[in-house]
Amino acid sequence: MEHAVLEWRNVVKKRDRMTLGPVDLKLYENYVTALIGRNGSGKSTLMKLATQLIHPDSGEMAWFGETYSGELPVEVRSRIAYVPENFIAEEDGLKMDEVAEFRASWYPKWDWQRYEELLHRFDVPGGKKLNKLSKGQRRKFEIAVALATRPKLLLLDEPSSGLDPFAWKTMMNEIRRCVDEDGATVLMSTHIVEEVRRMADYLILVEKGRSLGMLEKDSLLDRGREIWIARDDELLEELPAVVESAIESEGMVRFVTLDYAGAAALLEEAGTKPIRVRALELDEMMEHWMNGGISVDTL
Amino acid sequence: MRIPVQINESSAEPLYHQIETQLRSLIVTGQIAEGTLLPSIREFSADLKCSVITIRRVYQDLENEGLLRTRQGTGTFVTKVDTDDREAYKKQIVLEAVRELMDTARSVGYAPDELRQLVDETLREAERK
Repeated sequence: MEHAVLEWRNVVKKRDRMTLGPVDLKLYENYVTALIGRNGSGKSTLMKLATQLIHPDSGEMAWFGETYSGELPVEVRSRIAYVPENFIAEEDGLKMDEVAEFRASWYPKWDWQRYEELLHRFDVPGGKKLNKLSKGQRRKFEIAVALATRPKLLLLDEPSSGLDPFAWKTMMNEIRRCVDEDGATVLMSTHIVEEVRRMADYLILVEKGRSLGMLEKDSLLDRGREIWIARDDELLEELPAVVESAIESEGMVRFVTLDYAGAAALLEEAGTKPIRVRALELDEMMEHWMNGGISVDTL
Repeated sequence: MRIPVQINESSAEPLYHQIETQLRSLIVTGQIAEGTLLPSIREFSADLKCSVITIRRVYQDLENEGLLRTRQGTGTFVTKVDTDDREAYKKQIVLEAVRELMDTARSVGYAPDELRQLVDETLREAERK
């Protein structure tokens, strides 16, 4: 039914300080997937594997439904745009338009008009050398260049670092346009909850090099609730996926469940009407997921 | 267009259900007119900060109910709601509110007679204004 733009099986990559994998992964076409996880969990390594900047030690990787032995063909590569977390120093001395010319020669769908439009929207002054740009300007430039290739797969490694809130908002809108107009599939690593909240359809969580799976964002949010009920110790005992509970007053107990559907059914059956129900915030749910409180069906 | 749907973050209801209920109500009550082009799935999801999967599900459900129609390449439109459906729906909304009221009354120990009396009084008061 839905096509996988990127599909991995048992991908392993040993790095100096950590090992990524084995990772299974599947990115569906025309969705935005946020890659989340603590510092050093392997997000950037995962990104570099997806662009073939580095190669896996073992495992299978498919791009747009095809596996390739060795390097990706130029045609496939030209459908992928990547914005790294740290920029390549070799390009520092080049002027913006020289870099753009170079990209244009590699990407047949390169769109000069879009490039100019993006620089204008991002408010990046033209004609400068890359090492004369501020950190934020450089990032905006790199994102403009990536979007101007009209990619089918857009890989963004912490795209918002160094951006002011206004530039950030513009960037989010432009990425969304790329998804809508170019039919792009996006994988973005991020630490910013608001970015996940606004942009992501799916989340992939990596923890210490291991993938904890993929979840649809809203289904993650639908799972967690904080609930206050009249005290009933027996009932509390039976409620599923309770990660926290406390007696708040003599007759009232509060608990947090990560299986709200299950808990609600049980409360209904017991004829207990909650005093109050609060949905957990995205960051709270991400934390519970990181701490192993949420099980995800494997791919 | 921006659709006046408001997600209640502390609601017990799943996201898709909240959005679906509100959008259905806007359509059936005629607040969003027949023929209106709704925002694209991506636009609407960005507006509400939910995933496109959720919005797709909402559009699909309402399409199955005959309230929306999607034309390939142009987008999703509001279809004609017939008058009987509209009346039935209005009744449904009020009925749900009445049930909610009854629950509240029960939870604070109000007897049915007391509630009836209070409703009558409130209605009379509103009529006088």
